[in-house]
Amino acid sequence: MPAVSKGDGMRGLAVFISDIRNCKSKEAEIKRINKELANIRSKFKGDKALDGYSKKKYVCKLLFIFLLGHDIDFGHMEAVNLLSSNKYTEKQIGYLFISVLVNSNSELIRLINNAIKNDLSSRNPTFMCLALHCIANVGSREMAEAFAGEIPRILVAGDTMDSVKQSAALCLLRLYKTSPDLVLMGEWTSRVVHLLNDQHMGVVTAAISLITCLSQKNPDEFKTCVSLAVSRLSRIVSSASTDLQDYTYYFVPAPWLSCKLLRLLQCYPPPEDGAVKGRLVECLETILNKAQEPPKSKKVQHSNAKNAILFEAISLIIHYDSEPNLLVRACNQLGQFLQHRETNLRYLALESMCTLASSEFSHEAVKTHIETVINALKTERDVSVRQRAADLLYAMCDRSNAKQIVAEMLSYLETADYSIREEMVLKVAILAEKYAVDYSWYVDTILNLIRIAGDYVSEEVWYRVIQIVINRDDVQGYAAKTVFEALQAPACHENMVKVGGYILGEFGNLIAGDPRSSPLVQFNLLHSKFHLCSVPTRALLLSAYIKFINLFPETKSTIQEVLRSDSQIRNSDVELQQRAVEYLKLSSIASTDVLATVLEEMPPFPERESSILAKLKKKKGPGAVSVNELEEGKREGGELNGGGGERGGDNSTIAASNASTPSPSADLLGLRTGPQVSAAPPSAGSLLVDVFSEAGVNDDGFLSSAPPSAVSEDAAPPLPESNELLNKFVCKNNGVLFENQLLQIGIKSEYRQNLGRMYLFYGNKTSVQFVTFTTTVSCPGELQSQLNVQAKPVEPLIEGGAQVQQVINIECLGDFCEAPLLNIKFRYGGALQNLSLKLPVTINKFFQPTEMASHDFFQRWKQLSQPQQEAQKIFKASHAMDTEVIKAKLLGLGMALLENVDPNPENFVCAGVIQTKAQQVGSLLRLEPNAQAQMYRLTLRSSKDTVSKRLCELLAEQF
Amino acid sequence: MMHFLLLFSRQGKLRLQKWFLPLPERDRKKIVKDMTTMVLARKPRTCNFMHWKDLKIVYKRYASLYFCCGLENQDNELLALEILHRYVELLDKYFGNVCELDIIFNFEKAYFILDEFLMGGEIQETSKQSIAKSIEASDMLQETMEEYMSKPAF
Repeated sequence: MPAVSKGDGMRGLAVFISDIRNCKSKEAEIKRINKELANIRSKFKGDKALDGYSKKKYVCKLLFIFLLGHDIDFGHMEAVNLLSSNKYTEKQIGYLFISVLVNSNSELIRLINNAIKNDLSSRNPTFMCLALHCIANVGSREMAEAFAGEIPRILVAGDTMDSVKQSAALCLLRLYKTSPDLVLMGEWTSRVVHLLNDQHMGVVTAAISLITCLSQKNPDEFKTCVSLAVSRLSRIVSSASTDLQDYTYYFVPAPWLSCKLLRLLQCYPPPEDGAVKGRLVECLETILNKAQEPPKSKKVQHSNAKNAILFEAISLIIHYDSEPNLLVRACNQLGQFLQHRETNLRYLALESMCTLASSEFSHEAVKTHIETVINALKTERDVSVRQRAADLLYAMCDRSNAKQIVAEMLSYLETADYSIREEMVLKVAILAEKYAVDYSWYVDTILNLIRIAGDYVSEEVWYRVIQIVINRDDVQGYAAKTVFEALQAPACHENMVKVGGYILGEFGNLIAGDPRSSPLVQFNLLHSKFHLCSVPTRALLLSAYIKFINLFPETKSTIQEVLRSDSQIRNSDVELQQRAVEYLKLSSIASTDVLATVLEEMPPFPERESSILAKLKKKKGPGAVSVNELEEGKREGGELNGGGGERGGDNSTIAASNASTPSPSADLLGLRTGPQVSAAPPSAGSLLVDVFSEAGVNDDGFLSSAPPSAVSEDAAPPLPESNELLNKFVCKNNGVLFENQLLQIGIKSEYRQNLGRMYLFYGNKTSVQFVTFTTTVSCPGELQSQLNVQAKPVEPLIEGGAQVQQVINIECLGDFCEAPLLNIKFRYGGALQNLSLKLPVTINKFFQPTEMASHDFFQRWKQLSQPQQEAQKIFKASHAMDTEVIKAKLLGLGMALLENVDPNPENFVCAGVIQTKAQQVGSLLRLEPNAQAQMYRLTLRSSKDTVSKRLCELLAEQF
Repeated sequence: MMHFLLLFSRQGKLRLQKWFLPLPERDRKKIVKDMTTMVLARKPRTCNFMHWKDLKIVYKRYASLYFCCGLENQDNELLALEILHRYVELLDKYFGNVCELDIIFNFEKAYFILDEFLMGGEIQETSKQSIAKSIEASDMLQETMEEYMSKPAF
């Protein structure tokens, strides 16, 4: 414990802090704190009146405990008592406690206000300052009501001490921000403005913050401050570095005041008075000149203070945007900073140039730095600097450099930090659209975007490319050819399949002449992706297929066959099944004419502001992109979509309704979808009406109609950590699957033979209810035929703090590798939450343990000797190599742990049979730890190669 | 205006928290958590500024302590760095070669010194001498040590 250098020592407090620091564990700390709290409580409750010193000490201890992060529910009264002590330190601690811990307990506030009132009228400057600080710290409305009238008087009174004036100015500012209606400046205005002329630099520094805030709200009443500010600034700028004594900071005269003056001037247009304006321009030039002078000190404080003023001056120059000469000088200065060795300056220069780029006078000058900025994007080591570089490239982009900038941003995307990818994608998409001269470049760019960063391409982006292709017939053929080529890639992103499906469905005929992309080739290409896609994409593809039937009659029988297959017409997803049934029917009963009318090419979309832009505007800053916000953005379009009928790529419906031909075809399709096209009132669920009414409900949801796709209905992609969560449950059946600030999901499961039952417990951790709580369990891809998962419905409403339970029944049909997906959606305080997890159902859950003797084991081991039956992994231990823990994990796996089988007692061997409905798969396991190398060798043999492989993968993550 | 000032150690232990805007306890905890994780994850020799939500974050490390503040959009980052530096200088002047332990054991003094310097998130006084003088004046107002020593410790 260090000796307290000055002031009073509170020995009891120091001992207590020391004790807390010596606590070895959180539990010990809590114990010590509880002991102390009990002690203080008994002292406060005791019959003997406490003296001021003890009261102060205990209040201070309580404060310390609170600042450690513990709740304090008593002691407020004692703290308030301290306020009326006439001993300074007691008063001071009392005020500190109130400032940190006050809650608007009305009874107490009244007492506190009384004490403050006494101190304000005490005429003791130290006491007055304490009281003013307390008001500023608490800043509640009650305090504003009590003191908003008094403080301006203190501020402008002739006999007020300087230090009190400073506190009064900032205290008033605080109250003005809380309750502007209560702070009436009126008669005080001009006297407050004249504080800019005060002798005392500290008073000016404090007062100017108040004046700046008031000027922003009432510029006319305060406009006399402009000339005063200019003359004050001019005096500082021209002063020698020693003139201002202690207000000179590392050889820079009054940097804080200078910056605040420059900031105040940014509340106003350039001064109209020629003389004032001349003087100001002179100041700005001096500041720019000083930047070129050699530094007066090598200390970073000197250069920071000097450059702070410089950046503030540049902000003012940009704000005025009227002096081409100064703007160009500012730009050159920032250009120098772009190459500065100080990272901070490079960062600020990039940031500042962004605003400069939007001025017509300096836009060209900013553009000359393009190479430096591109270089920064590529080579800066600090992600926040790279982010600024990307922002600046976006800001300086115009027709002349768009291709270069977009190409650079695209190549940066391949390695960009995950946190900024989505924003980058939006920016690239906007630039590509805004500056597209030839639209084939635009199409190429967006498809590249999907290829490079498909996961980050939101609906808005791919909707937009479709909208543009539909509206411009000169690019349609090219688009069809390009997507056709892009789809050839063995693995392409689902968003690519969406765009491909839509565009080929509309314009596949434009490339059908080439035998390499004949109708059937196109269809087979699309259909080869079908099974890898999610439900909304499949729905979109089905629509593309029916369009194919119209475009290419020769594909009719092939497509009908696909639609007729069980996996379509009996699909467990209602939407897919409905489409399959209806499209099949439509294609078989409608005449060619009717078909052609119904499935006519999409009419052009009305021109609207790009919703991508709207989305980007919504993003407040990098790093601020929460799932909520994104959902928010999508909701306007998505909510209306509640009808459920309209999903993914219903080109046909829209074609029919947009053409507004009340033909029989419209009716036909009307059967298919819930909401009627023309007649329905604009209620929730009648998406189409809303979309096509010009009411503008959906103004920014551009394609919100076109493929009126799933928007908010789409299940979120599984959380990045979902694999890890899955691994946690390989060797155990119960525990907490997932937890965030809102929701906790607990899991309990039991398995017998090839059947399992899982209980999920959804706990609402907040005090607000979750509404429209829904969960869906799906089996992606192949898993559909391997697992039969049935989830019982769950209560749609979870009260705050409550928990609901869901039962899931699982049947294992065949061996499997993937895990079922659990998607959860609900609304919390209006915001849609959407998250997906992997349900921890792994193949080993269906193990039956098999005991056997050593002889049997090795005989079977030999029988399973074909190379593909064995899977082996050698890996480093990621946990301590504790025999008991390993045993427990192997038992948790579900196999029998066989003792005395392996000749080496260090090794573990296990045997079990996996029960599926189709077959039983016998498996043997051998785990050989090497304690010295901290490695394991894991070998699995089973009668089925996929099982060995999967078990090996799962287990390698466990030890 | 500054929204908050946090001092935390390299281990993420919070040593001082000053909130210039009233915030619910839950939000404060979230900010503290986000700031410590973000700032401690920064590599050496990166810049001292970051964006977080709609605030600018400025931080600097002094020995074992990180000083971190949140600013509004129009505030000047470089000057904020110097606010942090000036605060360190003030602590240093008061404690004499200040270290983390001084701030732990005399946390109330650290708050008092800050109060002399900043108010409502704005700078109140920039002169080191003036601030030192008013802190000294308030120390003078304290009772003599002897008066205290005669009191029981607990």
